Amino acid sequence: MTTCPMRNPQLAWREIDGEIVIISPEDSQVHELNETAALVWKLADGAQTVEEIAAEIAAEFDVSSESAQRDVAELITQLAERQLLTDVVGAKA
Amino acid sequence: MASRLTWPQTGRPLRISIGHVPLSLFIPQEELQKRALKRYQEFAAESNVSLPVFLRAKNSVRRGRGEFSYVLDDASLELGASIAEFHGVRHEYALDSLLRILLTAVLLPRHGFLLHAASVVRDGRAYIFAGRSGAGKSTVASLSPAGSVLTDEISLLRHSDGRWQAFGTPFWGEFRAAGMNRHFPIAGIYFLTQDRHDRFEPLSTKQILRALLPCVLFFSSDRLANEALLCTLLDLIERVPAYRLHFRRSSDFWRVIAA
Repeated sequence: MTTCPMRNPQLAWREIDGEIVIISPEDSQVHELNETAALVWKLADGAQTVEEIAAEIAAEFDVSSESAQRDVAELITQLAERQLLTDVVGAKA
Repeated sequence: MASRLTWPQTGRPLRISIGHVPLSLFIPQEELQKRALKRYQEFAAESNVSLPVFLRAKNSVRRGRGEFSYVLDDASLELGASIAEFHGVRHEYALDSLLRILLTAVLLPRHGFLLHAASVVRDGRAYIFAGRSGAGKSTVASLSPAGSVLTDEISLLRHSDGRWQAFGTPFWGEFRAAGMNRHFPIAGIYFLTQDRHDRFEPLSTKQILRALLPCVLFFSSDRLANEALLCTLLDLIERVPAYRLHFRRSSDFWRVIAA
């Protein structure tokens, strides 16, 4: 079973001054994502696995695969804790 | 989406208009009708295209029947495509609360929203002083010339006639006034911070969004509503200047703003 992170579809977001800004009017929260988190957010379409997202991050920022895997896993956990991401389980065989 | 709400036979409605949103309130309870008439008399307006709002005694809302529904304590509202129903309204305060919630939903597709803010008119333009409870909205209103305050608590901002305008509302705080049914182009938005000196500082788009969102009255978790709100707020931010206003509890802040 594979897990593919997905942006919380309820939230509205824009790219403002080079950063991703996400609003959650229900709890009056405005979230701002740094460059790496923003790329993870954009890639989290519910179709790509964590490993695939990490591979994109590794290529974009020229870091090792292991380092990217670690950072992406941590970022996804943080974004999920803020309810910005949800999981799509079993999206890929 | 067609409304499945029914259209009851009732008497003559109380017709009002808030922020250029005409409403016909069908209130069966005579005492509540009298109190509503007194509360909203400043906003009385005739219109042939108003949204009918039917008050029903029994709270029988089944969520999801209409386009938007909301439950507030013992009362609730349901908004359909061309009709609204309030259920379980027993006093004017519940009516007032449901009207605010209704307006947030009706204004959203019309590029408008309600904001926790005082609006004060000076030289024909509206100055918006935003902040949550205790920020100083009523203080600002009390320090402004008599007759210049559109509201001391809930401001209605709407893009209308090609520009952003502030409308008076019947939703007041400590002033407990009847409200002023007028509208003016917005000069600027000032987020209130009480301080020892009067000064203001410009804010970036992100800073304005962070300051603005907690002050917006919003009751939907719907994705399209969230998207519409973000569009509306970004349009406002692009067209209207916004600042952080540090102010003492004195009218001197007007000198800073006017400078």
